[in-house]
Amino acid sequence: MVMEDPEAPHHMLLIRNFMSQGLVHKQPLLYASPAKDPRGFLGTLPSPMFSKDEKSRDRDAEQEKGLRIAWQYKKYFGEQNSEFQRDGKSEYCNDFDLRKPLERHFYSGQQIDCISLQDSADLTTFQDCCSSFLSQTSRNDRNITCAGRIAIQSLGAPQCDFSDKECDMLSFIRSLKSTIRSSNAVAVITFPPSLVSPAFSKRLQHLADTLVSVKAIPDEDKELAKLLTGYQDMVGLLSVHKVARINTQVPTILEATTFSMKLQKRRSLILECLNQAPVDGSTGSSYASSGSCSGSSKTGSLDF
Amino acid sequence: MPELSKNAPPPPPESSHPPPRLPNWPLENSPPPPSSKLSGLLNELLYIGISLAGTRPNMAERICRALRDGALEGEHAPALTIKDSIQSPFGSMVFDHVLSQLSSFIVAQKSQSQGIVLVAFSRGPLCYEELFESKGNDVASSNKWIRVLDCCTDPLGWRSKLMESGRIANFTLGTSTTASLYKNVKDLDKLLLAITELGKELVGDGKGRFVVAIDSVSEMLRHTSISSVAGLLSNLRSHDQVSCLFWLLHSDIHETKAIAALEYLSSTQASAVPITRPVNGQRGNSEKLPFLEQNLRGGKIHVRFKRRNGRVRLMSEEFCIEQSGIKFTPISSEAEMIAQSLVPKVQFNLQLSEKERNDRAKVVLPFEHQGKGKTIQIYDGRKSLNEDKPEMQYNSVEKVQTVKDSGRGEIIYFRDSDDEMPDSDEDPDDDLDI
Repeated sequence: MVMEDPEAPHHMLLIRNFMSQGLVHKQPLLYASPAKDPRGFLGTLPSPMFSKDEKSRDRDAEQEKGLRIAWQYKKYFGEQNSEFQRDGKSEYCNDFDLRKPLERHFYSGQQIDCISLQDSADLTTFQDCCSSFLSQTSRNDRNITCAGRIAIQSLGAPQCDFSDKECDMLSFIRSLKSTIRSSNAVAVITFPPSLVSPAFSKRLQHLADTLVSVKAIPDEDKELAKLLTGYQDMVGLLSVHKVARINTQVPTILEATTFSMKLQKRRSLILECLNQAPVDGSTGSSYASSGSCSGSSKTGSLDF
Repeated sequence: MPELSKNAPPPPPESSHPPPRLPNWPLENSPPPPSSKLSGLLNELLYIGISLAGTRPNMAERICRALRDGALEGEHAPALTIKDSIQSPFGSMVFDHVLSQLSSFIVAQKSQSQGIVLVAFSRGPLCYEELFESKGNDVASSNKWIRVLDCCTDPLGWRSKLMESGRIANFTLGTSTTASLYKNVKDLDKLLLAITELGKELVGDGKGRFVVAIDSVSEMLRHTSISSVAGLLSNLRSHDQVSCLFWLLHSDIHETKAIAALEYLSSTQASAVPITRPVNGQRGNSEKLPFLEQNLRGGKIHVRFKRRNGRVRLMSEEFCIEQSGIKFTPISSEAEMIAQSLVPKVQFNLQLSEKERNDRAKVVLPFEHQGKGKTIQIYDGRKSLNEDKPEMQYNSVEKVQTVKDSGRGEIIYFRDSDDEMPDSDEDPDDDLDI
């Protein structure tokens, strides 16, 4: 579950990456949102980024015949469109280029269900849609293309008629969670905690297997710029509150729970641990500059 | 409200259909595509030119320009919420200011939109005609750039019913040619249809765009629920032909949830607040009067602007009410500026002040006073050393008690070094040679 910030659309970046990944790996997808026409959102999904393939293509042009690197031979046998396949196996893709839309061939032949939540008086119909979607993803098949993905955006948004029926929403989430447990699927649900009652928000947080939240950052904040390195490139913050602990007693202890969200070259979303340095309040001199711990008279952004 | 794509054609469910035509690629968190980038660039150059000329646009002008520039293709229309309260009841003046500014841009053809649809709940069409006349807008040709949906005169259709039954005499609304009467404010689906039809009347069915201004969302909320209003606003924002929209809200007459929902749906919020808040009833009336008088003539406006890249810009300005209307000025004193950060500031001060150093030097470590003839007291950090009844918290209490029993045992504590600073990073095992 992703807790939204009402002032920033960062949860959309996460949903987009999730949906694109599903389509690239040919996994069935169900998308629901409060928009009247949720299908329109599919046009904003990012294209996968294969940096190695790009470099290899450049090298190809330069190389002479007979001096080709062995792994590039595959490129001359396979289709040009499906570059992401190497050695006959599908390659997992985690990087997406936000500036490039997902190519058309990723949509063709795919099961993509889009459901609008705006005009529904309650969640019964949607619950039935989810159940029938999940019944298609069998647990026994080991193929990754059988894993289903459900993306629900802004559950509890004010334009939905059921947004004040919190008990109904909780029952829906509970039943969805139990159905997903017994099927080969994952679900990403975003909700705006500032628009629902605190009790409901807490209950949703407890229901989540993995819980993250996104937060906006102020623009042109000089104090924050001094405190955090790389502030200029940041678009927001992501905090991990809970990590799934299914079938295990051992908790996952993360090295860091707060990450900065940056857009590398305005193309891809990257998450970085926050670099937050202590500020010496008494003498005014900084502790470090550029990675070293030596004292220096340079004041500015601090980096350990 | 997060920006969503609204006009990407849906991909087909089956492969037999031709593949969809994907739109140009404006995404939030990415720069706009080249086609709309040019107009954005021109606007930026215009802005820079004016800045260089020495007339830096104030915050209110920047908001109006952001609305004027409208939405990029595939993006939700920018939406402004103007909030006020009884302490600073100037929301309608701010609304009028934004309305007249946008009208000027439209008439001068400097705007993305070609017309305004004004949904009037709290004031009738004639009021707005007078407003435009006073601002110098071209009223004669107003039917080319404005349509007023009159939800003020007969919002629930009662007057019409009474007229039909002959109980009251017929009356004429006035000579406003741009106004259409709307009599069913409880049905927001029909209201949406009425607004979009008026807009198409103004700009045509093609690529023309129009602005939607809602006189008072507070009035709408009297008749319908917040979810219906939120649905209407969300649908307007995602409509292809809506360039931008703005609405007025009186924040102190609604529940927090309703206000939060409307803030969620807007990309900019401008709140009118009093300059000085009255002290909580402690002062006498004679001292309150200057404050009240000051707040009757002006106030401050705080703006939260959600940028496309996901950051939030906070701005503040002062305004004062004059004969000609509302005037905005930068904040007079720096101390008044509210610099609110969305992330709590964290500071680690690793140095000690003189007092702190002295206090630490005075702390008596456990076991340091053993056998000096004083009664054994364990300092557990909660009580002072002079108390008669120490709380025996530590397990070593058994060992300490033996001192009283003379000879059973005692704890002798030697410091490693008197020169060693407490909490130093020196590792006493450093000299081990393993």
